[in-house]
Amino acid sequence: MMTLKLQIIIGVAIVIALIIIITMVRNKQLELKYALTWMGAGIAILLIDCFPQLMDQLSETMGIASPVNMLFFMGFIFALIIIFVLTIVVSRLSVRVKELAQEIALYEKNEKSE
Amino acid sequence: MKKLIIIPAYNEQENIVNTIENIKKQAPEFDYVIINDCSTDSTKEICQEKKYNMINLPINLGIGGAVQTGYKYAERNHYNMAVQVDGDGQHDPAFLNVMAQKLEEENLDMVIGSRFIEREGFQSSTVRRIGIVYFTHLIKLLTGYVITDPTSGLRMCGESVIQQFAKEYPNDYPEPESIVKILKAKKKVKEIPVVMKERQGGTSSISPIKSIYYMIKVTLAIIIEKIRRRSES
Repeated sequence: MMTLKLQIIIGVAIVIALIIIITMVRNKQLELKYALTWMGAGIAILLIDCFPQLMDQLSETMGIASPVNMLFFMGFIFALIIIFVLTIVVSRLSVRVKELAQEIALYEKNEKSE
Repeated sequence: MKKLIIIPAYNEQENIVNTIENIKKQAPEFDYVIINDCSTDSTKEICQEKKYNMINLPINLGIGGAVQTGYKYAERNHYNMAVQVDGDGQHDPAFLNVMAQKLEEENLDMVIGSRFIEREGFQSSTVRRIGIVYFTHLIKLLTGYVITDPTSGLRMCGESVIQQFAKEYPNDYPEPESIVKILKAKKKVKEIPVVMKERQGGTSSISPIKSIYYMIKVTLAIIIEKIRRRSES
């Protein structure tokens, strides 16, 4: 079982993180589209943190001794997924930047010769 | 017949004038365009002063992105042939007419200038030769075609390949990968013997440290190109 102390620490951390994310979206430093996954994850962890009995069942079926470890494991998997999605986004962006640069160069060339 | 020479140039202030003057002298029936890949030296100023035909990329894209810009330029200006000549003076423009003739007469899609058919001129270092032989074998294994000089930058292509390259071109170390792409699309590719010089100045884009990365990356790229579904083009 999770200790009450740990529950409170995790809960407070998540709430602070959520507040930061929402503030950043409000100030347009973060696209809502990308913030949604983070907010979803934060809320999920918060739920588990408040109702640890949800985890007990799951960790038992997966053969993980401590529900806390299950929580960390899920957090880790989630972080990996987000990093991977970011890599995909970067790949797509780099193609777009390349195409834009080429268009600008060709456009500028055209302008000059006319 | 509109023929274009694409000259990718990144920090080639020592070689660019020679390269262009050579082209004007030895291949006057070709148009040329310099793709200045956001050089940090005075390549751009030199070309502007000499009033050379130049496209300036606003950011550095690397060799693949620069050459592709040239193919896009060729496509939009309706060139029938385009040939890549490196800005460092390794490629002798005297071979361009022979290549164009071969491309036209045999109705080919691409002609590659190979250093290793008659084995004359600069033959590259032993280590690089080993790498090149390796790529030759890998391409033979995957496509069944023998390309003796798959890393040659001196390549001339017809309209269909210009269009394909304008749409899709690898980013770095593009030569071997794009040959596999072309062969897979059932284009007709042939090589003719050429003589290349050692680069005249400046430094090559491939340093010894990068060569391991180069081998792994290109090997993977070739294999992925082989198993990739045929693109819509």
